[in-house]
Amino acid sequence: MQPVISMNFIDYMILGAYVLVTIVVGYALKKYMKTSEDFFLSGRSLPSWITSLAFLSANLGALEVIGMVANSAKYGILTVHFYWIGAIPAMIFLGLFMMPFYYSTKVRSVPEYLKHRYNEATRGLNALSFAIMTLLMSGISMYAMALLFELTLGWSLTSSILLSALVVLIYVFFGGLSSSIYNEVIQFFLIWLGLLPVVYIGLHAVGGFAGLVSRIPPSFMHAWQHMGSASDNPMGVDWLGVVLGLGFVLSFGYWTTDFLVVQRAMASENLSAARRTPLIASFPKMLVPIIVVVPGLLAVALLPQFKVVPGGPSPDYNSALILMFARYLPNGILGLAITGLLASFMSGMAGNVTAFNTVWTYDIYGSYIKPNMPDEHYLRMGKYATVFGVVFSIGTAYIVQSFPNLMDYMQLIFTFFNAPLFATFLLGMFWKRTTPWGGFWGLLLGIMAAATHYLMYQLHIVHYSSEMAANFYQAWWAWCTDFVMTIVISLFTKPKPESELVGLVYGLTPKAHSDERFFRRPAFWGILALVVMVVLNLLFW
Amino acid sequence: MESSEPRRHFFDLKIPLGSLLGFYGLLLLVYGLVGPRDIYQKSANLDVNAIWGVIMILISAAFLLSAFFERRNRSNS
Repeated sequence: MQPVISMNFIDYMILGAYVLVTIVVGYALKKYMKTSEDFFLSGRSLPSWITSLAFLSANLGALEVIGMVANSAKYGILTVHFYWIGAIPAMIFLGLFMMPFYYSTKVRSVPEYLKHRYNEATRGLNALSFAIMTLLMSGISMYAMALLFELTLGWSLTSSILLSALVVLIYVFFGGLSSSIYNEVIQFFLIWLGLLPVVYIGLHAVGGFAGLVSRIPPSFMHAWQHMGSASDNPMGVDWLGVVLGLGFVLSFGYWTTDFLVVQRAMASENLSAARRTPLIASFPKMLVPIIVVVPGLLAVALLPQFKVVPGGPSPDYNSALILMFARYLPNGILGLAITGLLASFMSGMAGNVTAFNTVWTYDIYGSYIKPNMPDEHYLRMGKYATVFGVVFSIGTAYIVQSFPNLMDYMQLIFTFFNAPLFATFLLGMFWKRTTPWGGFWGLLLGIMAAATHYLMYQLHIVHYSSEMAANFYQAWWAWCTDFVMTIVISLFTKPKPESELVGLVYGLTPKAHSDERFFRRPAFWGILALVVMVVLNLLFW
Repeated sequence: MESSEPRRHFFDLKIPLGSLLGFYGLLLLVYGLVGPRDIYQKSANLDVNAIWGVIMILISAAFLLSAFFERRNRSNS
């Protein structure tokens, strides 16, 4: 097949400059890596503007970008639910209520919190499932990138995979989490600067926002109006599924317990900065639809192959963004857009690799295989873990080739691991009676409930109007099972003495007293973010 | 506060980031001004390379200047 995009020397110069800068930044960080905390937690010294942008970029991988543009071309503005209701309340909750427990206890990872709050078994279960999940995700990222570059630029699958793996390996190996975070910040600017031109040119070509509205189906412009029942909207989900499955369980599960994102906030210089991290990140998060939803809508309005024909063949929505690039971007700016995508693929992968090496070193290797070694030993282990993390990711990249729909597959993984985990955290942080074994069995049964539901759906015992609805409800039932079973088992088992729970549970933790000015206070940013989110939802009702 | 010694920051990210964006800005601006014209038929006859080049130079300048002033303030105090 002929590649859709042809890059010239200017485009390659832009791409090359990016690769060069990431490697130089990673190498320059090498001399700061003296202890394992420097490597795994950036020495807890980063200012909140950096951690916020990294927090956001960790979730703005190219797979999400391409997938969400595809969703927008398919479902219209309904896609904003992933950015507004499906992210903002959870980010605010993390900043205002949960971050103090993570940051003040000086735990180094999410599984480590579970060890202090519950027991070794709960930590082991979470560490193991998380390590597997990150390697799968990183493999998915790599494969998706290689596939995209094969189709659009004509690069071979193997050369894209090896190139990206090598670059990520070099910069994470030298600079650890700091490298990963710095690259996520660079990626944040590149993805915005790379995608805005296509929005600008597209809107110019279609005759402005009014022109856009007149050329797409009216139902594509409303976020809530058609959510009354699952059959009324193209997503096949009702409002209850969106609010409970996506807005509550999946979103809270992802944003508040996934170590990949929480790790970025833990790298902050102090508690207040750690709490501000998700809160500040929520503002650019609300704007992300400008660069993902608008290009999807523009594709429907401008490109003939995406014209909505009732009963017609379904177009390949995943190519929407690339076809917009190919149609509207001249060389030069084209290289910038491709570089933005490459940057977000690589930083998505680097994020997974850094979360993996931390959990592997602290929670698996340092707890079960070789505890009580000097710090240099763990620093060295972290570097080795980076190498085999990347090697395993290359392996998974070839395994996931056989999976048909990567986006649904990712959501599916989250319903298994993150959704029940959120119930375990909620009870652990806010109910001191929750017992260690209640936590462990609740989590295990929650994961098994997700598996059972998945099996029942696959065997057609339960039915949903779409794959997405099945995922949302699966998340909800996994969460409920964990929540109820943790309470029931806790009532029959022995709780931890209160003296061991100080700092870990709400009500047993002294309130942080703050004399900062109002614009530095987390509560101010949290309330402001909530107000903006409500207004945006009303505007696009 | 928890520690009395001044916290050690890693190097200032604004410098490599500003430089990269500045390089891109210059490259796009020059290519937009002297490069081929027919490629802009694609972009509704807008010379987006030159326009975007200027915008990126401005963003880059903002990063580099703020890094410069922060450093000067620190050495003064």
